Amino acid sequence: MSESTANHTFALYLGCIAPNRYPGVESAAIKGCKKLGIDLVPLKGASCCPAPGAFGSIDMNVFYAMAARNLVLAEQMKMDIALVCNGCYKSIWEVNHKLKHNKDLRDGVNEVLKEVDMEYKGTINVYHIAELLYNDKFVGVDKIKDSVVNPLTGARIAVHYGCHLTKPHKDREFEKEVMLNTEHPMWMEELVAALGATPVEYRNKMQCCGAGGGVRGYDIVHSLDITNEKLINLKEAKVDALTDICPFCQLQFDRGQIEIKEKFGVSYDLPVLHFAELLGLAQGMSPQDLGLDLHGISCEPFLQKVL
Amino acid sequence: MAKSKGYPEALEKKLHDQRYYREDSTPDFTKRVEDKSRTIAHMCFQCGTCTGSCPSAPRSTYRIRKFMRRAVLGLESEALNDPDLWLCTTCYSCTDRCPRDIAPTDVIMAMRNMAFTHDIIPVNFLKTVTAIYSSGHGVPNNDVNRAARERLGLTRDPPTTHMYPEYMPGIRKILDHYHLKENADRIIKEREG
Ligand code: SF4
Ligand code: SF4
Repeated sequence: MSESTANHTFALYLGCIAPNRYPGVESAAIKGCKKLGIDLVPLKGASCCPAPGAFGSIDMNVFYAMAARNLVLAEQMKMDIALVCNGCYKSIWEVNHKLKHNKDLRDGVNEVLKEVDMEYKGTINVYHIAELLYNDKFVGVDKIKDSVVNPLTGARIAVHYGCHLTKPHKDREFEKEVMLNTEHPMWMEELVAALGATPVEYRNKMQCCGAGGGVRGYDIVHSLDITNEKLINLKEAKVDALTDICPFCQLQFDRGQIEIKEKFGVSYDLPVLHFAELLGLAQGMSPQDLGLDLHGISCEPFLQKVL
Repeated sequence: MAKSKGYPEALEKKLHDQRYYREDSTPDFTKRVEDKSRTIAHMCFQCGTCTGSCPSAPRSTYRIRKFMRRAVLGLESEALNDPDLWLCTTCYSCTDRCPRDIAPTDVIMAMRNMAFTHDIIPVNFLKTVTAIYSSGHGVPNNDVNRAARERLGLTRDPPTTHMYPEYMPGIRKILDHYHLKENADRIIKEREG
């Protein structure tokens, strides 16, 4: 295993759900990336991204200003941002992109930020950790393979890509062109295979988890019905676990299965793990170190297969 | 001299009235939606790709294509008062696929912004605002999680506004600039007493 000296440093933007509900994602991301030559340092004083569904629905201008505040914190550190959540990517990456390209928006935001002695300058970039892991400019599949000490051999793992990292692809600017394929992407499956597991595809895999846009809070049954459709398709594919790259999707699939059992009377008992947690397992972190016991759905059957 | 293209003024006016506007339409609604959403809503040719891609459509009466039509026809009150407005998960599948490169999702967001100015908004959206106003987080930390974080070798509170509350006044100032907390509190109180 290569414990290379870190050659990339990013400010780790945590968001809300990872640090406050699935802390294993935070610790696995920091430790896993370290082994792959990426240092993640805390972005002090960051707030909620803010939640694009809630804030975007209420007032786009507040959404821009609040996301800009988080961006300025990283600008002051002179560091690019790395983050672990699709929803945060939507806020932080997209607002950065919009403010860089629209002077009217930037001026509007800076007028508000002036009141708190801040100025958005547009000097940094924003990356999702999945993008850093997949792009060989930073890490790449081969380097991940080399870091595996506990291959997840024999486990059938399906991928939930989620929406806000890659959609709408017309607005995205990934260096790796395959990441712009939103109809039938396979790059996450490559990452899963790098850990020694068997990636499994399923019907309508690009469908949304159902949680976003404030729908989870507005109409929980409607929201869970979307999740349930995905779970039916996942069951059909006979998978041992589902992996995601978004703690909000994870919450919806993990805690959501408990709510689905309550409300619809069906249970799936499908373990749901963020890709950072899977990476941690494959790199030799224990389930305890990953806080997998905090998950709503027990990861035990899956762990028995791979440990 | 060549005549400029178009019908005589009287006919133009008649067609304008018949095709596009009813007594309950707001003629400048389309423009306001476009300004806010920064997308070319009027280019929609009603193909239905958006509704066909929508995870909310099969399980409700929500039809994104219908909202697109309302945007073009200026049917402001019909759009803003429809409870289905809040069933978009913002999955962006419609935006990803629209053959006219319109962003229907952003049209929905623009309409939601406009609805909010009339106090039309489900309270769960406002509760996220009040949570962030008090802690900086939409989903705040709790004691079970603090203990777990400690066990994992992390700080009990993450190095965000949770660990550095001195950043909170700045956040409150930004939200207060838009009177967001004040409005959220007022509307929640009206609904829930
Ligand atoms: S996909 Fe685009 S053009 Fe087609 S109906 Fe929807 S918004 Fe209109
Ligand atoms: S973004 Fe909204 S309207 Fe568009 S497909 Fe997704 S849920 Fe439907």
